Amino acid sequence: MDALSALKMVAPQLGLQSLNPAQDAGAASIISLPDLEKLTPGISPQPVNPTQSTGSFQNLLGNFVNEVSEKQSAAGDAVNGLLSGKNVSLHQAMISMEEASVSFQMMVEVRNKLLDSYQELMRMSV
Amino acid sequence: MIDLMPGISSTSSALDAERIRMDVVSQNIANVDTTHGIDGKPYQRQQVVFESVLNAQQASDNPSSALQTVQIARIQNDSRPPRMVYNPAHPDANAQGMVAMPDINIHEEMVDMIASSRAYEANLAVIKNSRSMAMQALSIGKT
Repeated sequence: MDALSALKMVAPQLGLQSLNPAQDAGAASIISLPDLEKLTPGISPQPVNPTQSTGSFQNLLGNFVNEVSEKQSAAGDAVNGLLSGKNVSLHQAMISMEEASVSFQMMVEVRNKLLDSYQELMRMSV
Repeated sequence: MIDLMPGISSTSSALDAERIRMDVVSQNIANVDTTHGIDGKPYQRQQVVFESVLNAQQASDNPSSALQTVQIARIQNDSRPPRMVYNPAHPDANAQGMVAMPDINIHEEMVDMIASSRAYEANLAVIKNSRSMAMQALSIGKT
């Protein structure tokens, strides 16, 4: 969402629409909503559908965590295979362990970033 | 599958190939005096032939930019004739007292072994750097 459409969504709540230019001498400088529509003709304010957007992001995050867990179990299988004398070479086990470790680090970073942004939002004074 | 470490598929296949090369070199060194192989003849020196293959998954996604991995095409018998050594006391000696020994030059095998181990080392360095690239990318934005 760009800043302009956000402004348009916020405008009704702030009561900008009820402003009467005739009552306010400085009102000429305020951009009216139709003018905003002209500036960005393609974009009209749309209500955010919370269930839809959080659902897809949840899925994305869930898939990512699943993939990390898959890599962890693959690394475990490789080490098991190596130690039980199956046809797994040393470097294959080490590489899958490295991959698991890097993807886990990636997951931790994503979690940190999400938590950071959440806390930033919570600190915001309204 | 997410691919966080660049170049792992090629490197991993190269490590596999070098391992097999090392296996073959060790087999050659171990059989340097074998006069009676599986087929009853003196042991024949073997050498590996590498070939490159397209990474199957990447090739189906995007054939033009798919990475090539390496694999062992075949393990080939060396065609050098056996070395004839005079040793009448040997059980495998012929009527003239000559024994057919495998024509394996230990120095040649040593050089092969060093080449193989250095190639393995180079591929391990690729993995190390690939990992450090990924970890450095993960620390973007940290102070």
